[in-house]
Amino acid sequence: MSFLAPLFLLGSLAVGLPVVFHLIRRTTRERKIFSSLMFLLASPPRLTQRNRLEHLLLLLLRCLAIFCLAFGFARPFLNEPTALPAAADGKRILLLVDDSASMRRANLWPDARAKVDSILRKTSPADQVALFTFDRGVKPLFTFEQWAATPVADRAPLLARKLADTSPGWGSTQLANALIEAAERLAESGGKAPIDKGRIELITDLQEGSYLEQLQGYEWPKGVEVSIEVLKPRGTGNASIELVSSNEDSETNSAATVRVRVSNSLGEKREQFKIGWARSEKRDFVGKPMDVYVPAGRSRVLALSAAPAESPDRVLLQGDDEEFDNLVFAIPPETLRLSVVYVGADSETDSKQPLYFLRRAFQETRHQSVRVNSHHSGDMLPAQEVEVSRLFVISAPLSVESTAALRDQAMAGKTVLVVPSTAEMQQTLGGLLHSDGLKLEEVRPNNYAMLGEIDFRHPIFAPFADPRFSDFTKIHFWKYFRLNPRGPTEARILARFDSGDPSLLEVPTGKGRILILTSGWQPECSQLALSSKFVPLLYSILDSSGVPAPLPAQYRVGDVVPLAEFAAGAASPIMVRLSDATQFTLGLDETNFSRTDTPGIYTVSTKDSKKQFVVNLDPAESRTAPLPLDELERLSVPVLNTTEVRLQDAERKTRVQSNELENRQKLWRWFIIGTLAVLLFETWLAGWSARRALEPINLSPG
Amino acid sequence: MTSTANPTLPSSSFIDAKTLMNIRNLELRARVVVEGFWNGIHRSPYHGFSAEFTEYRQYTPDDDPRYLDWKVFARSDRFFIKKFEDETNLRCYLLADQSRSMSYGSLGYTKAEYASTLAATLAYFLYLQGDAIGLLTFDEQIREYLPARHRTGHLRNLMLALEKPAAGQATDVGAPLKQIVEIVRKRGLMVLISDFLAPLERLEQNLSALAACGHEVLVIQVLDPAELSFDFKDPAMFQDAESGRVLFIDPGSARREYLRKMEAHCAGLRASCQKLGVAWQALATNRPLEMALFDFLRERMQQRSKGQRFARPRHTQAKASA
Repeated sequence: MSFLAPLFLLGSLAVGLPVVFHLIRRTTRERKIFSSLMFLLASPPRLTQRNRLEHLLLLLLRCLAIFCLAFGFARPFLNEPTALPAAADGKRILLLVDDSASMRRANLWPDARAKVDSILRKTSPADQVALFTFDRGVKPLFTFEQWAATPVADRAPLLARKLADTSPGWGSTQLANALIEAAERLAESGGKAPIDKGRIELITDLQEGSYLEQLQGYEWPKGVEVSIEVLKPRGTGNASIELVSSNEDSETNSAATVRVRVSNSLGEKREQFKIGWARSEKRDFVGKPMDVYVPAGRSRVLALSAAPAESPDRVLLQGDDEEFDNLVFAIPPETLRLSVVYVGADSETDSKQPLYFLRRAFQETRHQSVRVNSHHSGDMLPAQEVEVSRLFVISAPLSVESTAALRDQAMAGKTVLVVPSTAEMQQTLGGLLHSDGLKLEEVRPNNYAMLGEIDFRHPIFAPFADPRFSDFTKIHFWKYFRLNPRGPTEARILARFDSGDPSLLEVPTGKGRILILTSGWQPECSQLALSSKFVPLLYSILDSSGVPAPLPAQYRVGDVVPLAEFAAGAASPIMVRLSDATQFTLGLDETNFSRTDTPGIYTVSTKDSKKQFVVNLDPAESRTAPLPLDELERLSVPVLNTTEVRLQDAERKTRVQSNELENRQKLWRWFIIGTLAVLLFETWLAGWSARRALEPINLSPG
Repeated sequence: MTSTANPTLPSSSFIDAKTLMNIRNLELRARVVVEGFWNGIHRSPYHGFSAEFTEYRQYTPDDDPRYLDWKVFARSDRFFIKKFEDETNLRCYLLADQSRSMSYGSLGYTKAEYASTLAATLAYFLYLQGDAIGLLTFDEQIREYLPARHRTGHLRNLMLALEKPAAGQATDVGAPLKQIVEIVRKRGLMVLISDFLAPLERLEQNLSALAACGHEVLVIQVLDPAELSFDFKDPAMFQDAESGRVLFIDPGSARREYLRKMEAHCAGLRASCQKLGVAWQALATNRPLEMALFDFLRERMQQRSKGQRFARPRHTQAKASA
């Protein structure tokens, strides 16, 4: 027998009352008439001296009445085996286990395995189970097909073993991706069942840093439900470090200076940390670490300067419990050294001449250092310089040999920028373009000329395509050279003056090209050197002249590193070596390196060059605060419920069943009727015994 | 609280109250008491009273020359008026409480029986003296009223009225007192016999009204010895004779408190009486009635010899001024 309101059973404790009343019953039957009771007060009842209870039957009846009443109120019902809906067809369960870096925290992975085990225990033989893990991508460990192909007895152990063989990686949590892929798998494979296609059992720490954006606008397939088992970490908070990209202009020379952001999560109780350089796998500081105070929920950016002499390559944080995100790798960025050859008749210090402006336009930065080598037009260009340089700027007539040499360079893929300063340059230009009849005619417009038409689709002008930057009308040209005839036929006019004469032409030559800027930038010819467009334009020309783009030195785990430019021209296969001596060899046709699974310093090497880049953990992975479940529901993921809710659900179901049973049986009525019957009998019995006790004793004889 | 036996009158020489109560006839009982009493004290019960000299007063013009004492004038050559006290017959009203509380008795007879016998004794005694006697019995209201008379058959009626059993529920001394004040205009002696087991608040007010009318008032409080000692042994359900209320009382634990309250009640009554100049006497029902009669007379005699009055100056009448 069960009870709907078992608390009412406490009422049966009142059974003590009749017992006490029977004990304190006044034992006297004597009644005395007294003149007046005005001076008397009732004596307090005393427990009877005798330990024997009187009127046992009455007492029992009274106790019984109280018991019946208490039982009636407790709403008793008899448990009947309820016909639960039999598990008809097997369910399809896709176990989606998070193995991102945040799962490396102390107890999470064992917990996840335990959850998987417990889910497996609850499955019936008819169920179909698959196991997928995910971080940046989804990795199927055990598919539905494998499940179906495995003997029933081996399925669960095999699946558990598959999970035991894996461990959390270093990837970020692309939760949206994983959910979408899992849902689609279930939707595809469960095509026949229109209503219940299956359930995704998501086992994750559901951290705040999970990526959910892709779920926005995604139409969740019908019949696929998600049940989330949120793993709770033992620790309360987490502190992390992250490299902050430094301002390129300000930090020109101090290569070892690194800016680091230290973040402390809301739940973390500690606020005092140590941060400093480290070098080896051993988590020891090189040099003296810095003490840093970061309150919970705040972050702080620090400049870690003055790297010790041992040239450390990583920054270490100490002071919090979760160690997986306490290390970032940092190597100084490589400076790209470029050289530009200028051939002209002007002096470097003459502020009216082009070279003066050219030299100042190419400032050295942390990532790029451009050296302008100027030569007199009569000089022979040094072969080594010519070999290294990608851009040649010509502003004076050249000798025939030099002209031929430069054309060869252009044919080989380099860029020659010709800026005529005099009409005599027509021979040099003709030599470069292999065009004999080319003439240069000096034009001095009445007032001034402006750039009237610019081809912003060309890479040189593409950076100015934005309307904010596309206004070139403020640059006035006082003098330019008109080409007669209007350039070679293959020439592409990139910009024209408002008079219709070309301003900048591109003539493809072999693998390279020859650019002709018909007006100089010096103040004598135009305002170009003084305008804000000059430096970007020069860099644009430099960049488009085949200068290899610097390889970014910072990547995140899982990023694809493009090595195409690095590999260009390399005959040997590319070797990528990790700091822990793991080595990968890329095939000749491979231009991207995607196996950045582990944070560390990667060295890319070919036969003749070598480069380094670092791979660090995704900073989002350090945001370990739990994500509210509502967030997923808001993105219209049909979240079933969590364990607690499910338990509550089961309780509610049981309660409803009990209610129904109780309603049907209504045993309480019988208890109340019993109570009334007992009370009636008790009343009659008490009255009868009282009457008998009050009968006068007849002393008269006979 | 109780009247103690007079040492000069050993109680053994009187009829035991219990024995007396065995006499059925109330009148006979009264006669036994009164005659027995006289046998012990009076030389002649039929002596009677006459006009008594009280004082001399110097003659003033307009005084009646008939009352001049010529002998004094002869001796002293001065005129004196001789004053006499004219003793009229006493008008006595017996106010007997017959409420239920009076029906309690632990000695084989009730307080009401004792009180009736006392009233009858006094009535018979006074009747023999030639005084007019009235009766008023009451409980919570007036039951019987006989005006003060002295005639043949009146005593008989009085005895019959006294013999009626107690029927009332409660004791309310206030109502009969108020009524007697209204009925009895002529001054007289009021003997109030009750157990006074009722709240005292209004009693004092009514007694003062009675005394204010010029009556002499004598309060006789009749109590059973069990009420005075509360010497019950076993716990029992005690029922109030008047209200019927039943309480479980353990005498062992309740006695002290009872006695304290009872004493306070009696002391309160006595204090009220003293304040109003009313004579108060408590009688236990085991006290011989002769002694009660003796106490009554002694009380009166003492009061008179001291020159005190019970309630008001005694009705004096200067013959000279009449």
